[in-house]
Amino acid sequence: MQLLANPARFMSFSAWAAPACLVLALVLFAIGVPWALFFSPADYQQGETVRIMYVHVPAAWWALGVYTFMAAASFVALVWRHVLADVAARAAAPVGATFAAICLVTGSLWGAPTWGTWWEWDGRLTSMLVLFIIYLGYIALWSAIEEEEKAARLAAILCLAGFINIPIVHFSVDWWETLHQPASILRSGGASIHPTMLGPLFTMASAYLFLFGALAMMNMRAAIHRRRVEAARLRGSGA
Amino acid sequence: MIDGGWAYVWGAYGVALAALVLLTIAVVARLAHWSKRARELEQRP
Repeated sequence: MQLLANPARFMSFSAWAAPACLVLALVLFAIGVPWALFFSPADYQQGETVRIMYVHVPAAWWALGVYTFMAAASFVALVWRHVLADVAARAAAPVGATFAAICLVTGSLWGAPTWGTWWEWDGRLTSMLVLFIIYLGYIALWSAIEEEEKAARLAAILCLAGFINIPIVHFSVDWWETLHQPASILRSGGASIHPTMLGPLFTMASAYLFLFGALAMMNMRAAIHRRRVEAARLRGSGA
Repeated sequence: MIDGGWAYVWGAYGVALAALVLLTIAVVARLAHWSKRARELEQRP
């Protein structure tokens, strides 16, 4: 990680790593989607709607995971002022926001036939919506402040303050009476779902992870190119 | 057991995959734009 804090080294690493991650993500989606839709069993209670889990659960996991990555990068940016830490946090935000949105929409599509409601203001659903709003706020803050250094500092503070919501999302099903079921995979005592469902679930989760890696690196590359172009423009205008 | 449900399944996969595809296109297009600008800058005498 320390090695990649150098922009030139990061650019040469990401030149091959970003497309490699993208190809890997596409291959995993090409395996995971048909597996989830046609070759995994229906649930004895949920029927076919259990298949929504394979797009919903990885989106939820990585919406939390991406935010944790952003918080770690923001901490590094604030404390050690690494050149690329704020770039990494900013690059990850749109990907995490998309994962959170997918989680909310697919959860709603699962809730309608299963719970008989599209939405319920319970602990898990509400804290996930708050996470999505924090993502949007973080992205908006970066865009609202012209001075990049100031924007980076304020966005990092916002990101770290918003991190308090991550354990709330995770433990909401234990802390409050919720309609949402408790953790069935990432829990002490092992997964409680059938092993035939774990294959497509972990394949899809890996696909989401590699897609995140590819898109975050591409966003970082675009940001580094943009900084170079803008710095050259400023030098050209004599500023 | 819930009968049917395929309409919800197709809806969920449609939304999820469309969102991921749109995000990927946007990111790739943004990268292509800024790397083209950076290349033009490097070629300038």
